[in-house]
Amino acid sequence: MRVSLFVTCLVDQLWTSVGVSSVEVLRRVGCEVEFDKRQTCCAQPAFNTGYLDEARPVAQRFIEIFEESKADAIVSPSGSCTAMVHHYPQLFAGDPEWLPRAQAIAAKTHELSSFLVRVLKVEDVGASWRGRLTWHDACHGLRDLNLKTEPRKLIRNVRGAEFVELEHADACCGFGGTFSVKYPEISVAILDQKIEAIERAGVQAVISGDASCLMQIGGRLSRKGSKVKVMHLAELLAADSRG
Amino acid sequence: MNNTAREAILGSIRSHLAASVPYDQQEISRGFSRMNADQNPSSSVEICGQFKASLEAVDGHCVIVQDDGGIAEALTRIIHGGRIAISDNPEILRLLNLTDLEIEELGIAPNAHDIFRFDVGVSTVQAAIAETGTLVLDSTRERHRLVSLVPPVHIAIVRASQIYRTLSEVLSLIRKDKEISPAVTFITGPSRTADIELTLAIGVHGPQELYVIIDEVN
Amino acid sequence: MNHLSSETFGENAKAALADSHLRGALKNATSLFGERRKAAAASLPNWEDLRSEARAIKDEVLSHLDLYLEEFASNAGSRGAMIHWARDGAEANAIICALTIARKAQIVVKSKSMTTEETHLNDALEAAGMQVVETDLGEYIIQLAEEPPSHIIAPAIHKTRGQIAELFNAELGMPLTDDVARLTSTARATLRDRFAAADVGISGVNFAIAETGTIVVVENEGNIRLTTSLPRIHIAVMGIEKVLPRFADLDVFLKLLPRSGTGQRLTTYQSYITGTKRQPTDEGPDELHIVLLDNGRSRMLAHPVTRQSLACIRCGACLNACPVYQQVGGHAYGSVYPGPIGAVITPQLMGIEKSAQLPYASSLCGACREVCPVKIDIPRLLLHLRAEIAPRKGKVSERLAFKMWARVMMSPSLYKVSSVLGRILQRLVPVAKAWTNGRDLRLIESKSFHELWSDE
Repeated sequence: MRVSLFVTCLVDQLWTSVGVSSVEVLRRVGCEVEFDKRQTCCAQPAFNTGYLDEARPVAQRFIEIFEESKADAIVSPSGSCTAMVHHYPQLFAGDPEWLPRAQAIAAKTHELSSFLVRVLKVEDVGASWRGRLTWHDACHGLRDLNLKTEPRKLIRNVRGAEFVELEHADACCGFGGTFSVKYPEISVAILDQKIEAIERAGVQAVISGDASCLMQIGGRLSRKGSKVKVMHLAELLAADSRG
Repeated sequence: MNNTAREAILGSIRSHLAASVPYDQQEISRGFSRMNADQNPSSSVEICGQFKASLEAVDGHCVIVQDDGGIAEALTRIIHGGRIAISDNPEILRLLNLTDLEIEELGIAPNAHDIFRFDVGVSTVQAAIAETGTLVLDSTRERHRLVSLVPPVHIAIVRASQIYRTLSEVLSLIRKDKEISPAVTFITGPSRTADIELTLAIGVHGPQELYVIIDEVN
Repeated sequence: MNHLSSETFGENAKAALADSHLRGALKNATSLFGERRKAAAASLPNWEDLRSEARAIKDEVLSHLDLYLEEFASNAGSRGAMIHWARDGAEANAIICALTIARKAQIVVKSKSMTTEETHLNDALEAAGMQVVETDLGEYIIQLAEEPPSHIIAPAIHKTRGQIAELFNAELGMPLTDDVARLTSTARATLRDRFAAADVGISGVNFAIAETGTIVVVENEGNIRLTTSLPRIHIAVMGIEKVLPRFADLDVFLKLLPRSGTGQRLTTYQSYITGTKRQPTDEGPDELHIVLLDNGRSRMLAHPVTRQSLACIRCGACLNACPVYQQVGGHAYGSVYPGPIGAVITPQLMGIEKSAQLPYASSLCGACREVCPVKIDIPRLLLHLRAEIAPRKGKVSERLAFKMWARVMMSPSLYKVSSVLGRILQRLVPVAKAWTNGRDLRLIESKSFHELWSDE
């Protein structure tokens, strides 16, 4: 199985270990991974803020780049970015040239845990990580991509990890893209509900499938002097007893 | 009626719907299909018992009896004399006469001006719904609109044969009338509110207590 | 009445966040409402089918709204109802005021109607010399407090019992108590004689059945029954989107609305009113007037995405599920309709001039869409509205920023350069302060994934 990695601009710039871990995991389960260095962004920030004229050419660039790939699938370690690509047909509604191209790329694009469990039918990637952890359901992954059981299956197979279900795991962390800086007080008020639940869970780490949520949660945990770590699912799955 | 406004509104609706057509065609079909809403499967619990359980779950009182004597006895236990307003169904007067209640004042379907001084209202019903504990009152068949609403206590006398299992059956029943009744009321328990801190308070503007007496035999 | 404006949503929200009473009240209310809704939905194994069915019915009506409205008006009219058409709120108010004046009314009792809040009917009636009495307990409380409603179905949810007790003490002379039952019975006693004395009763409409001309109103308190049975004139005010095709369709909506709104299987009372009484000596009002209000609704029909806004059955479930509403409450939105549905219909009804912030008051989490009984895709609607607002009302600096962003993202070399620049500037950009006030900032890494890949 040949996979083209859609690493996302956020991971590319701010959290490279998520990208590195994703490659590691995909290779470990037998995929060949290619990376097209021309890729930049899926256009979600512009699309979500309402700048469609700016979003469209960036989305077109994405489509063009990935169309050239001979890989079987495009895989991304981000639920929200994957969901954005799945929204491309909406962005090109009524466009006879771009709509079919958008639909084709959308059909080929998968979020990492979805790809592992639903496509490759793999639930155990041979990971091990010692400690007590919990999972935060990132909103787009949960509600746009229906990812609820897949990440949990993968986590439960991590050797040494004690998984506890977070209270209101499916409650938003308050990030919401530009919302987090347009309405920072509301964003943090929402975030604090999540932080309180994490503290009550008594875990050493919070795992999620979206780096944006982890930035939001991690940023508050560290501001509050918490010892709880945030970790991306890819990083957890890449972890093994060799360290 | 103000025809200019009517034509303007209808015109606005039509022109905006027409403007939507090209976008409707582009919408990646996400149509929601109509299907027959499932009836809740028929439970084996017999209908009077089901009604009673449903009503009690919403703070209504329910007693099941076997005959007129049972109804009279129930009425005696619930009513303690005082001022009683009854609907114009002659059955109720007949049943009250079987009791030996000391009634201070009896009003038969008192008007809006007088109804406020009564302590209890007694009526029959036109149908009932077991799955929800609901009484169905049709204003064309009995004069009970105010009797069932204003006095702080409402007593309803129901025959088992009037009880249907589901809401949807009763809706069909109402609809069957060639000219649908001008005022039909569904009553499910005593009046209530949770407007203050979501704390339940029973007894707001409608009756504070609801008693349903079911004759399960006749 | 001191109404906050949707124009200042951001400021309103900040003030709300600083109000610990409010936050406590909101937390209790929204979580209770949410739990009850969830349990009620779970009790119906065919819940999802019901939602789809309801949405299909609404789609059918909305795509032929003119025909169904005409059918409704014709059937209700032939049963004795007087039908009035109002293009906007001012026209509706004028019709209603003229009616009350012509009938020499003095006291008007009202049951809860969001539509009449939308048109500010009470102000117009009072200006016309009427005494207006809100009879729904929550509405009565906020009328005394001179505040707007903060929730679609529980208007006084932002008030603690202590605040209500103080209000009743000040306005009604009631001794202070925190016994909810006593507060409620005071309201009951006080309002009783208003019902008896009223000349006109004004209600809203939950559903209007085209097939039969029936209006349906649902409630728990009994004030709607009193409002629509005692006074000699009943005026029912409804948005034009309230129409349903067939009487039988009520089965679906009566299963969805109470469960979604309050977690109840059925509300205590439903009144099915079809025209006027048959005999003058029958119980009930002498006259029934139905006011059909457009006020911007017909405009929403012009696109499938906005058209679904009109499917709303005003259950309030989206408010309770929304993380933003849970934190700031309803007043911050500065609109009769707050929360997720408010954020999408307010700009459409009132225009985006003053309400441009509202579609941005969301993290797009989608919890609202999950709980909506008629499956309105609110996040999609929010994005649709943002796409209308941003090019026209976005800050110049923001528009420029996104134009630059697009240039950068189209060009791998510009992307690389900006990443380098970003590493230098990241602590300086103003956007960072909005972040760093509450959260530590994650810094741009010294080597991007692109660069690491090249190194491999």
